Amino acid sequence: MEYALFYAEGADALPYAPADDNVGEWVDDVEARGVSEYGERLRPAQDATTVRVRGGEVLVVDGPFTESKESIGGFDVIDVRDLDEAIEVASRHPVASFGRVEIRPFVRWPDADPDSRIVPAGFAERPVRGRRYLLLVVVEPGGERAPAGGDRAEDDGPEAWVREMDGRGVRLFGEVLRGPADATFVRRRHDEVLVTDGGFAEAKEWVAGFDLIEVQGGLAEAIEVASKHPMARGGAIELRPLWPFDVHEDHVARTEREAADLGRRLEPAAAVAAAGSER
Amino acid sequence: MPGAGGATPLAPGIAAALRGAYRSDWARVVATLIRVTGDWDVAEEAAAGAFERAAQTWPRDGVPRNPGAWLTIAARNLALDRLRRRGVEADKVGEWMAMQEAIGGADGPPDPADVVADEEPAWDDRLRLVFTCAHPALPMESRVALTLRTVGGLDTGEIARAFHVPEPTMGQRISRAKRKIRHAGIPYRVPAADLLPERVEGVLAVLYLIANEGYLASHGDELQRLDLAAEAIRLTRLLVALMPDADEARALLALMLLQHARSAARIDAAGDLVPLPEQDRTTWDAGEIEEGLALLSTAAIPTREPGPPQAGPYRLQAEIQAVHARARSAVETDWPAIVARYDALSMFADSPFVALNRAIARGMAFGPQAGLDDLALLEASGRLDGYHLLPAAQADLLRRQGEADAAAARYRDAIALARTAPERRFLERRLAELPGP
Repeated sequence: MEYALFYAEGADALPYAPADDNVGEWVDDVEARGVSEYGERLRPAQDATTVRVRGGEVLVVDGPFTESKESIGGFDVIDVRDLDEAIEVASRHPVASFGRVEIRPFVRWPDADPDSRIVPAGFAERPVRGRRYLLLVVVEPGGERAPAGGDRAEDDGPEAWVREMDGRGVRLFGEVLRGPADATFVRRRHDEVLVTDGGFAEAKEWVAGFDLIEVQGGLAEAIEVASKHPMARGGAIELRPLWPFDVHEDHVARTEREAADLGRRLEPAAAVAAAGSER
Repeated sequence: MPGAGGATPLAPGIAAALRGAYRSDWARVVATLIRVTGDWDVAEEAAAGAFERAAQTWPRDGVPRNPGAWLTIAARNLALDRLRRRGVEADKVGEWMAMQEAIGGADGPPDPADVVADEEPAWDDRLRLVFTCAHPALPMESRVALTLRTVGGLDTGEIARAFHVPEPTMGQRISRAKRKIRHAGIPYRVPAADLLPERVEGVLAVLYLIANEGYLASHGDELQRLDLAAEAIRLTRLLVALMPDADEARALLALMLLQHARSAARIDAAGDLVPLPEQDRTTWDAGEIEEGLALLSTAAIPTREPGPPQAGPYRLQAEIQAVHARARSAVETDWPAIVARYDALSMFADSPFVALNRAIARGMAFGPQAGLDDLALLEASGRLDGYHLLPAAQADLLRRQGEADAAAARYRDAIALARTAPERRFLERRLAELPGP
């Protein structure tokens, strides 16, 4: 069964200790076991761009759709036996020890080919041909149509958008997630694995799915792609540039090197990029 | 039992056999059907249908030699029909047919659990069910409800009434939990050995919660809900039978039995609370006490690791109840032994409720002032703000110390906060009994 793992700090986060970061071992292990499909780190929240369409107008803002502690810092797609194995895999990820890992099952379509995978086979070897963004589909109040549940294909569902973006070679893969009621949080504290129900009833906004896109025209094109997604009207689309790194390098040195860019937006200002996309 | 019993009243023997079968076999039937169909709703509907069929045919044909096997096979047939009608994949139905043949070839209907080959044949299906219902990815209130529904065989209305929520709310809670099991991939399996200790802990937590709700209702007019307490005992007994090596499960069962043994003595004819020192100890259930004490003496299985055996939190709580159970009268209670166990308990968890009980025990063992000092610290921590038993405990120790005025003030605080009518009446009585100025 396939799951998305989302890494976040969460409300009770401890400080990140780069010396304890063993993400390289984790990656080696999940690859050796064949349970990992694909995963990436994301640029921090200040490099997020959130796109909404209201009344036909494209509204673009710098920053993520939600406050930063809950903001996603990276993700993996795994294929494991069941939730217990997903919990085991998640609990050994270094983020579980200071933040939290959210385990989200995907919607399983009744007519889906049982052999198909979220991440296409051989994807990791595919050369990068443009700028990649994780496009997070966000359900939030105030959208212009009923929020999409996980269960049903909607009349104005994303099928047309998927066809268009697949045709343009922009969309690499993506899928709809089951709702927050089916989510599970995993944290590790004092060497104890803490598993909790992830579906809090008070959640007003949540990630309902994601796509990985690859664009030639930078943030401007990514915004254009996002604005065409039907959920830009129904909720919001958050664009997060990937932030690849060598999982086996010394994380203390890496953290020091990256400190200079911390808190600084490397993406163009959303307004500038959006203006560019209209030209 | 829901669903059973038709328009015509059943002969008492048949009704008793049906009730007995429901009690002993509901979980087994549902558990087996969930494993084979992978569908909780089909399994429950088929199990309910099988009991309905039993209510129709047993009066005519007599109670079968092995009611459990009869019910399982009847439920299988119903589930098979339902799956076929739904047009479920041919291979699944085929699997069923193979199973049916295997059963047909045997001498009489054997226990289905023995027939179906499985990866973990040693585990009873009901054990899978218990672990799945208590999975940590489900919200605690759903775990409790689902365990009572699916393992306990209570219907949604009964569970809703027990927890004072509207029936539709409880129905949604249960169906949402089932949906999560299906969609999030919660396995129907006894956890692997490395996960087992923490998952057993999770199951015990669910059973403990059910028992506590039964022992001391958190609201309402009735102080105790014997249905829930008895249900918790029944389910824990099942867990102990399925996992005889789980020491803490045995200790939890002992704890429940020792508390339940006092249930008749805890309430007087007017429905008012009778505190432990005033209870008529001859009305304690000797059988339950004996069983509880016996469970404790065998729960002391030597640990594999070197060093002294570490008593778990349920064992410590059960031992506290055992001290009470062994005391022939209130004044003979070995309070220092109780204090020692609360000391050990407070090492496990930094719980204000343990701290409260420890303070009371210290007051009884070492004089009221020792307890009042502890309670003053606890009150200052603010961790039990709004909890009626804190001022009630202070009032009781002040009363024992002869400080009637201070005791009266604390009784009034406790009365304002009390959550059940019997507790409120008890506190009012205590207040009235204080010597006047």
